[in-house]
Amino acid sequence: MSADMSSGIKRRDFLKVVGVGGVGAGLTGCSTESAEKLLPYVVPPEDITPGVATWYTSTCQGCSAGCGVWVRTREGRVVKVEGNPNHPVSEGALCQRGHASLQMLYAPDRYAGPMQRVNGELQPISWDEAETLLAERIQGAAGNVLFVGGAMGPTMTDLVDQFLSSVGGSRVEWEGLSEAPLREATRIAFGRDVVPHYALEDAEFVLSFGADFIETWVSPVEYQRGFARAAGVDEEGRKGEFVYVGPRLNLTGQNADEWVPIPAGGEAAVALGMASVIAGRNGNAGPYAEILQAYSPEAAAEASGLEASTIRELADRFQNAPSVAMGPGVAGQHRNATAANLAIHILNSVAGNVGSRVRLVENAQSAPARPYGEVEAAIRSMASGGVGVVMVHGTNPAHGLPPASGFNDAFSEVAFKVSFATEPDETAAMADLILPDRHFLEAWGDASPRPGVFSLQQPAMESVPHFDSKQTGDVLLSVATRAGSPVGPATTYDHLRDRWQNLHQSVGVAEDFEAWWRGALKNGVVEVPVPATEEQVTLRQPDAALIFDAPAFDGDGEFVLMVYPSSRFGDGKQANSAWMQELPDPVSKIAWHGWVEIHPNAAERLGVDKGDMVRITSPANQDGVELPVFTYPGIREDTVAIQMGMGRENSGRYANGNGINAMTLLPAEAEQPSGGLVHLATRVSVVPTGDVYRLATIEGSDSQSKRGIAPAAYIGSLGHSEEEGYEGEGEGYGGEEGGYEKKPLEEMQMLGGFGAVEVEGKAADWPLPGSDRGDYADPETPRWAMAIDLDKCTGCSACIVACQSENNVAFVGEDQVRMGRDLGWIRLERYYETVDASHAGTLDVRHLPMLCQHCNNAPCEPVCPVVAAYHTPDGLNGQVYNRCVGTRYCANNCPYKVRVYNWYSYADVPEPLNWQYNPDVTIRNTGIMEKCSFCVQRIREVQNKAAVEGRAIADGEVVPACQQSCPAEAIVFGNIKDETSRVAELAENERTYRVLDELINTQPAVHYLKKVTFHEVEDAAH
Amino acid sequence: MGVTRKIGIAAVVVTVLAGGSLAFVQDGQDANAAAQAAAPTGTSTGNNYGNDAGIQPIAFPHAIHAGTNRIDCAYCHYSAERSVSAGIPPVSTCMGCHAAGKVQVQSDQGQQQIEMVQEYWNDGETIPWVRIHKVADHVKFPHMRHINAGLDCTQCHGPVQEMGVLQQPDPAWGDGKMGWCISCHVEQDVSRDCTVCHY
Repeated sequence: MSADMSSGIKRRDFLKVVGVGGVGAGLTGCSTESAEKLLPYVVPPEDITPGVATWYTSTCQGCSAGCGVWVRTREGRVVKVEGNPNHPVSEGALCQRGHASLQMLYAPDRYAGPMQRVNGELQPISWDEAETLLAERIQGAAGNVLFVGGAMGPTMTDLVDQFLSSVGGSRVEWEGLSEAPLREATRIAFGRDVVPHYALEDAEFVLSFGADFIETWVSPVEYQRGFARAAGVDEEGRKGEFVYVGPRLNLTGQNADEWVPIPAGGEAAVALGMASVIAGRNGNAGPYAEILQAYSPEAAAEASGLEASTIRELADRFQNAPSVAMGPGVAGQHRNATAANLAIHILNSVAGNVGSRVRLVENAQSAPARPYGEVEAAIRSMASGGVGVVMVHGTNPAHGLPPASGFNDAFSEVAFKVSFATEPDETAAMADLILPDRHFLEAWGDASPRPGVFSLQQPAMESVPHFDSKQTGDVLLSVATRAGSPVGPATTYDHLRDRWQNLHQSVGVAEDFEAWWRGALKNGVVEVPVPATEEQVTLRQPDAALIFDAPAFDGDGEFVLMVYPSSRFGDGKQANSAWMQELPDPVSKIAWHGWVEIHPNAAERLGVDKGDMVRITSPANQDGVELPVFTYPGIREDTVAIQMGMGRENSGRYANGNGINAMTLLPAEAEQPSGGLVHLATRVSVVPTGDVYRLATIEGSDSQSKRGIAPAAYIGSLGHSEEEGYEGEGEGYGGEEGGYEKKPLEEMQMLGGFGAVEVEGKAADWPLPGSDRGDYADPETPRWAMAIDLDKCTGCSACIVACQSENNVAFVGEDQVRMGRDLGWIRLERYYETVDASHAGTLDVRHLPMLCQHCNNAPCEPVCPVVAAYHTPDGLNGQVYNRCVGTRYCANNCPYKVRVYNWYSYADVPEPLNWQYNPDVTIRNTGIMEKCSFCVQRIREVQNKAAVEGRAIADGEVVPACQQSCPAEAIVFGNIKDETSRVAELAENERTYRVLDELINTQPAVHYLKKVTFHEVEDAAH
Repeated sequence: MGVTRKIGIAAVVVTVLAGGSLAFVQDGQDANAAAQAAAPTGTSTGNNYGNDAGIQPIAFPHAIHAGTNRIDCAYCHYSAERSVSAGIPPVSTCMGCHAAGKVQVQSDQGQQQIEMVQEYWNDGETIPWVRIHKVADHVKFPHMRHINAGLDCTQCHGPVQEMGVLQQPDPAWGDGKMGWCISCHVEQDVSRDCTVCHY
């Protein structure tokens, strides 16, 4: 977007109506009475053609991973966020929190403008007055300015530091999901103050000690892709192994082949035990030789509760394959977390993984993550009156820190408190002045997610006009000038360009800066190769005293409490997104509320079951919190777990009141030596209250009941089957044994059209013989079909939100989800096959994305009285919204239960949340059925484009939203009639099956490739 | 659609649909009547299917621009060839000819209208045209696909170059149904599949 944007006001007027088929396009009937206005531009912007999307490249700031994104805009407003295929972190994929950023942009609860607290009430104030007021206060603070920020990109960090050195002050960083212990462990082990990069795709043996690399750990999109490439079976039938060691299975853990359920805090012992076996053979222990001698497998077994043979065997496997081990993550951040991370570094190092699968390169651009220990100092300073002005940006310590930290009281002590939050939060609720920042989709910035990777963030639209926001960088620069301490260039944009000019010089290309800058904006990322010599690192002498023992836990409650980050909310950042609240948690499948995970045996002992309310108390919180129980076999009997990010009270309408804040149960303690906040620190008591909470969950059953819905294939059986194609299917329905004869069309019509025809049952057998008339007669017509590789699918649920974002799928709220009225077009089914928390062994959890199967023989089509459900010439199960009268017979008949009904006009959402709607998809009002359409709008768009350009559609050109978003690359879509297409090839794979097809002859177009296991599975139906 | 109905259900369905379609036609006729009754005063809210008689903010005559001066449709409706939407000319396009000191017209009324356009431009305001051509919101009509197929604008929009005041051609779109669209698709033997336009 060029900086010299003209006709801003005129575009805003235009946006009020948005021309043809724009915002608010819905089924309001063929009313002829209302007049619409057509508002043209005064001067048309060069980059907007009405009806055609304009795309901008940017960087997501939903978490600190820094995925590159492509932002789709229509008529000047953002309608979709997708991954940038050219970006090394996202490579075209995007996680659910990235999609949620769209709702955060248009959140109706955003501040309307700058606010000043007068007599306890927030009053609007102009930017001019607000900045002058802040400048005065800063001058009065005489150098005691404190800036509390979340992780910011390099430019913003630099700008803030320049501001603080000019006006006098200091900065602390509080990032709820920071990996301070990992960083400190890396510094101690190798002398590099970095968070390592893990090249999972190069591993054949992945070992996680709790790191949730599919959900929130460091760079979830990138690691999920790497993991899927490593652990998904390849064409030669090779598959990487994944062993998960930890007390609780997070979603990442559910994808493991084996689970070693050690007690909380036992990771260091296991890692050192394994390392001692390996170092005993190759002598790579370096300065840790003595420590490893102390942690023989027997000693480690005693410390961790495992068998010594298990540890030896794990060590053997870890050494004999290209392997990688990852540390406990935030959920496992206990009082010896640095030591635990260091133990894993030692393990990686002795096995020879460092330099290949564990990469450590100095990242010169971004500042080291500041640990909680520094926040502790800041809290003391605030409490003692040492801070004159405190400013909070991009973080919410009042909710994210345990109350025991004293942050709230200390913060209240400060004379003048400023928040840059875009929407209300617990910290801003105490602020005297609110200067709402822009959302990242409407602001400039940058990120450096990995060494050598420099990612740009540009505004994809003018700031949403409902909210008078201003980019914080610009505010600080203006305030600095007003306070008499000006800082460099006048805008954040100028700062950004200055820093990138330096980068341009260091890159050393021939192009002049302006051309290079434009190219960088368009590509979204600049990659600078990192010198190879940096990769050679060996273990150093430790410079800190470390205790590798299991940590101490507070209190004497029966259970150890795990507080784990949310793959939907992070640490609470995206809690006010209705999509995230309604997205069923990938592990528990619960929406809109919190829960506590308890093993079924432990629950039985307590006398509670799923939904029963319990009171959980800890030494830090004697009053305790109340939560419903979720019985979960994937957690040890001596452990309970509560998700972070909930229990908001001062957030917006979607977040407030849902669940409880797990941080209230924790002490406020900085782990030594890293200074990270301990999350795994306390025991709790769990007492039933006698109440019951009706949970909003989409889970029908967690067991397949031997119905073969998500079968698996034992790896030893691959490559041996003689028949290609569908397992267990005969020669076709109504074949020689069936005795059905092909009937001519006229005879079929006399029978009412229900004469049987002989087909092989493949998706490509469309249209059926005898029905190939008119539109259905053209042999060139494609037949759209899909293939989903369950060996790659991790159950992350990004596809669900991508679909919701693309197809204007409404959210319905907790009450409606309780009634089973959730509107998801795609859902993730999760079935347990083998989950045993009592000892180390095989783990088998199956994830199945279930969407409309677009069956050739769809049960929903013959029963629609108005032919709103029918089969299109190109093989889709069509749903014509304007014909639908809402009998719901189709949903009744669907065996997959993928058809959903609008019981109310769920799509009527508060402004400007409706700005998010995709203008290419009709919005459904009350009384209309809907379901997955295979993104028919994308199919038609590509068909139109190909027709206008006079060419055929290429394989892979039509990409539905789910496929595009999937970080694991599990979904493939295309024309199955094209024998050279990927989907046709996958449909003939030996692992391919279709759900329930043998039983009910629906002949779906969605082919699933079985998950591959390292253990033999019971029978074909399993 | 290759699925036919059993006789009993078909009878019920036909009755229901017939009843439904009658209701729609009734609405259309009422609206038309209402518009015509209000037409002479120029204060009608304007409906999509009848004369708009003076409801436009500027009395823009297609007959002079597209007719007498033979300006190509795509000169103003610039995105028809590459977008689903044909596009409404921005005010800057009008000013391209009608800026102060440029094209003059004979009639006083015409000159007055041009001055009104100049006023919109000088104030930086958009011109709030009343929409005449509209298909229902659940119909996705791609202009570029039809232009690319070789249709002339007048085939659907009627003899715009003869219209002083723009109106939808009659009987084309007269009843707001898709039958008129389908008849051309049948004639040209192109797809009549529902999900080509309804999604």
